[in-house]
Amino acid sequence: MSSSPIADISNASPLETAPAVRSTDGSRATLLICLPSLGIDGLQTMQERVVATLPGQSVVLASPDVLPDNESSTEHLRLVGYPAGPPHVSWTLVAGDFLTAADLAREHNASAIMLLGAEAASLLPAGLHALATCILNQRVDLALPRYKTGPHDALVSSALLYPLTNALFGVGTHLPLPLDAAFSLRMAERLAAAARRLGNAAQSMPLVWPAAEASIASYVVREIEVGERTLPHPGDTDLNSLLAEVAGSLFTDIEAKAPFWQRSRSSISALQTSEPVRLGSETEELAEVRAMAESFRSAYLNLQEIWSLVLPPQSLLALKKLSLAPPESFLMPADLWARVVYDFVLAYHLRTINRGHLLGALTPLYLAWVTSHLRRSAGDATLSSQHVEETASAFSNEKPYVVARWRWPDRFNP
Amino acid sequence: MGQQIKFALLQSTHRVVVVLVRFLPGLLAFLLAVAVLALIGFLLAALIRRLLTATRFDERIKANEKISSPVNFSDWAPSHSPTLLISRVILWVCILAGVAIGISAFDASYSADTQVSLFALPYLTHLLGAILILFTGNLLARFLARSVLIGAVNAQLQYARFLSFGVKWLVLVLTAAMALDHLQIGGTVVELAFGILFGGIVLTLSLAIGLGSRDLVSRSIEKSIEKPLPARPTEDSPATEVRETPGPKLRHF
Repeated sequence: MSSSPIADISNASPLETAPAVRSTDGSRATLLICLPSLGIDGLQTMQERVVATLPGQSVVLASPDVLPDNESSTEHLRLVGYPAGPPHVSWTLVAGDFLTAADLAREHNASAIMLLGAEAASLLPAGLHALATCILNQRVDLALPRYKTGPHDALVSSALLYPLTNALFGVGTHLPLPLDAAFSLRMAERLAAAARRLGNAAQSMPLVWPAAEASIASYVVREIEVGERTLPHPGDTDLNSLLAEVAGSLFTDIEAKAPFWQRSRSSISALQTSEPVRLGSETEELAEVRAMAESFRSAYLNLQEIWSLVLPPQSLLALKKLSLAPPESFLMPADLWARVVYDFVLAYHLRTINRGHLLGALTPLYLAWVTSHLRRSAGDATLSSQHVEETASAFSNEKPYVVARWRWPDRFNP
Repeated sequence: MGQQIKFALLQSTHRVVVVLVRFLPGLLAFLLAVAVLALIGFLLAALIRRLLTATRFDERIKANEKISSPVNFSDWAPSHSPTLLISRVILWVCILAGVAIGISAFDASYSADTQVSLFALPYLTHLLGAILILFTGNLLARFLARSVLIGAVNAQLQYARFLSFGVKWLVLVLTAAMALDHLQIGGTVVELAFGILFGGIVLTLSLAIGLGSRDLVSRSIEKSIEKPLPARPTEDSPATEVRETPGPKLRHF
């Protein structure tokens, strides 16, 4: 196993003018673009955008809005429907989407696939071009987009998904649960195999983690900045259920890939912490922090017994101190949050308590991190990004902790 | 007079000894059956465990499982080892078979005109059933109490622990009443007592929440009203955009 991060993560800006897309061997590689349901007008718009963004590129555009009788083709663009009815409509890409993409790629002999999720019409043409260029020209197996988001967006990814994926799999993609993705044919086959292992996608919508799959296969992963995009809403599901679903899926994936991440070595960076922003007395952030600190205090009093089954005494003591801290100084240290998450991953693996209860008990701790994030960032995007990177560094630094506890769980039993 | 007393004592002693003499062989037969079958079960379990380990049974099962399935075999096995589960099942089946044979031998040791077996044997099965009801009820009470506690905490209810406690004792009272009813102890007295107690607990919870904890409830309701959360999530304000107080909009996903 290599000692350097396997994934090649670089941030390429899409805003520079790029040459026309050509395949490396000179022939026209076919790009399959899978779209969600956009309606007839939305499909027309996307069709025109693809033609304008990828001139001369052979493209197969698959959409559930295209009926079998309405399939059409021009010199470089073919419009096809989905083979087995419309795909599931979800706020993020699910296993069924990857299965369908792989089937379509085989059917139409595509060498690269771009899978676009809900609200895909909001993706900038430059971003679309950047993803296509990356996957066609740069011999990259998986290209994941990074959107321009605000300091209070995608908090679960910042708190949990990105740090875990970065620390355990060496892939520093900020949205490991992608809304859009571009990948090679061999990556598509691998993702389809992972989706099949997760079960019958027609009955449920299990989540696939492309970054982790690419990492264990030693494929090249790249994160591409694609500018702004409308982030789709998860719908009526409450935070508790959604966090349990996403975290549970990731923990299951981590458990399944334990032999890999226990052996791999990712670079450990020095944890650099910055001073939290002193919030003024009248800021909205302070009011929010005050309310959330109070909620955490209540959660600590009620869930202390459950947390004591999962967390070691030093973590419990730190949480107790945190619950007693005034809102102005409410700050969850990054290394504490990292160890708490790792302890929950381990408890998930050992089934210390019922998994549903375990994930439910994680929600107040996650909200405590969010509270700290609000204190650290105070609405500033740069400070927010800095705090997220500090969190990710803490996860990397604490990786030996989870490896040791995973291998010898009986050495410490709360 | 003394002779009659002596005769009566001798006769009663003789009757007790006869009953014991009839009882002991059955008891010994019961213990012997359980011991022999337990030994057979232990040997069978060891043999099966060696056989399954040699054929890598655990690895084959795990290779065929789907991660997201809720009923994976290895998830329910002790130490995630299906081999261990199967060997323990075989052991306990043999022990239970021994108990059944022993009870049958115990029954056979009595003559047909005695009525002990008519009552003792069915009552033993009822006793086992009652123990099972108590065990299951206890597990269910703890599971439901924890579920309610976590759900109420995440819903930011101030009386989460009180709710959890109430749910736990509701289930425990119901379980105890079912077990006593199964053992046919108390009859209508138990039924009435259960009804009164169960209704009392529910009424207490209602009064406590509605009247006795007015301040707590009104504070919780006030907090809920202040938050824009109770509004049905629309396309513009989905449920995962949490706004605890008027402040920065948080997008968790």
